[in-house]
Amino acid sequence: MLNINDLEARHKKYKIKSYAPYFVIFASTTIIVVSITSFILYNSKIEADIKEEQKQPVIVQKIEVVSATKEKNETLQEVEQKTVQEEAEPVTAKEDIKAEQKQEKVSLSPSLDFMGKMGSNNQVYYKKEPIGAAQELPKEITIDVKQEEKKQEEKIVPKKVEKAEEVTVNLDKKTPINIARKDEQEDISYVIKRFETNHNPALSLFIAKKYYQLGNYEQAYNYALMTNEINNNIEERWIIFTKSLVKMGKKEKAVETLKKYISHSSSSQAKQLLDEILSGKFK
Amino acid sequence: MKPSIYENSRDVFLDTVNAKDYIQLERVSTIYQSLKDSIEKPLKMVLLYGKPGTGKSMFLSKLHQNLTPSQKVCLYKTPILDENEFFKILAQDLYGISYEGELNFTQFIKVVENKELVGTTIPLILLDEAQLYSTPMMEKIRLLSDTRKVKFVIALHKTEKEDIIAKEHFQTRIWESIKLENASTSELKIYIQKKLMKANCIDTASMFTQKSINLVHKLTDGNYRDVNKLIYTLFDIYVFYANNNPNKINTSEISTKFIEMSAIHTGLIDA
Ligand SMILES: Nc1ncnc2c1ncn2[C@@H]1O[C@H](COP(=O)(O)OP(=O)(O)O)[C@@H](O)[C@H]1O
Ligand SMILES: [Mg+2]
Repeated sequence: MLNINDLEARHKKYKIKSYAPYFVIFASTTIIVVSITSFILYNSKIEADIKEEQKQPVIVQKIEVVSATKEKNETLQEVEQKTVQEEAEPVTAKEDIKAEQKQEKVSLSPSLDFMGKMGSNNQVYYKKEPIGAAQELPKEITIDVKQEEKKQEEKIVPKKVEKAEEVTVNLDKKTPINIARKDEQEDISYVIKRFETNHNPALSLFIAKKYYQLGNYEQAYNYALMTNEINNNIEERWIIFTKSLVKMGKKEKAVETLKKYISHSSSSQAKQLLDEILSGKFK
Repeated sequence: MKPSIYENSRDVFLDTVNAKDYIQLERVSTIYQSLKDSIEKPLKMVLLYGKPGTGKSMFLSKLHQNLTPSQKVCLYKTPILDENEFFKILAQDLYGISYEGELNFTQFIKVVENKELVGTTIPLILLDEAQLYSTPMMEKIRLLSDTRKVKFVIALHKTEKEDIIAKEHFQTRIWESIKLENASTSELKIYIQKKLMKANCIDTASMFTQKSINLVHKLTDGNYRDVNKLIYTLFDIYVFYANNNPNKINTSEISTKFIEMSAIHTGLIDA
């Protein structure tokens, strides 16, 4: 009978559970938004820093020039003021220059402030490279350690070395195998296309066998079935079909199907497979 | 509303197969028509298939009920697994011949072949749950149809994988296959409301808004059996509240919460 209180409680739990994903989504979007904005801010800062860094030498030069000319001008001024005090025009001209120089100085001064900042920022910026280098280093170290281990093993237990070598060999081969698999997968899809146009049972059986070899038992099962739909009497198809069933953990179904087939075919291969499945030899 | 209204509504959704409860659904009617057409074609066996709970048994019951007045038609709701028994029962039901002792296939097919047809209509045999018949048995049924003196309509359910496996038996051209599907949302609405109306539960029928129908469809995928289970529990919950806490009931529409509680109870929701 209905236990309403229990149901109510379970419903409450269910509601909380069903809202949980929304909380997670909300929380993660906030985190993502925050981190993206801070990342952008950080990046633009670095960019700005880089630009400033590029400007820096020029600024420094200018400032040097300016200060140099300023000093010169000042001394000149003093001299001129002393020697040519009565000539009003030159003085004003020089005062103009002075003013211009002052203006220049004013416009440049912010850059000088930046220089101060640059010092600290640069440090942060350049730190990145050492980090990269540091990351590479441990790799080398681990490799060394491995080699050392190997050498030690070689000395102590020769048998183990073989194993170790096998492992490394396998690792090396891993990628080629994947490539081969991909190729086979592509081959299969090509055959599948052909099969879809002409429905030749030989093709679907080929596909079933290929899938079986690749360990894709469900597809092997499906294509073996299709083969059957077209031509019920292909023995191999029954074999692949039942084998796939066993591989998919449906031993009972496999046995049942195989028995059905044997009952009207007297296939010795099927009988043998049935024996193997029943005795657990094939699994 | 009185608790009894909810009780009546609940009992509408008891999972039973009875031709008098049949609801006319548009898709089912067209399938029904094509089935009747193929019954009239010579040399055709009909395979009726679909997932459990799509209404195959209901369909066969309805077909049986409709055809009975006009022709010989036998419905076997559960398979007769013993061959000898199967042929003996057929001989009895089709021709009124009872056999003492054994009646094997060779003997029975001779009987069938030698029968003169009464009029033009071929006697019809409806077999439900036919996935339980063995392959050799199916083969014999096919041979029997080949005599053109009997016709079979065979209903079986298949899960997706077994879908194809079942077709193993049905590769020969003499089969016509008809598939039954789960209800669409609009069919579901008709199904639920008509079912309630038929039992005079008009008030509860009008409580099913599009929103509640959509939720029921989402939870059951339109599978009639799951729909029955869900709504049966739903009204059971209403019965409880009507008896214990009536002010918790909103009579203008079905409560989403109650639907969800029913889904939890029937296992459609994991909680
Ligand atoms: N057209 C229909 N009218 C009324 N009830 C139906 C209809 N189709 C299915 N049902 C109900 O759905 C349930 C499942 O249907 P059923 O025929 O038993 O499915 P199947 O035989 O495909 O498993 C039954 O209880 C039946 O009452
Ligand atoms: Mg049924």
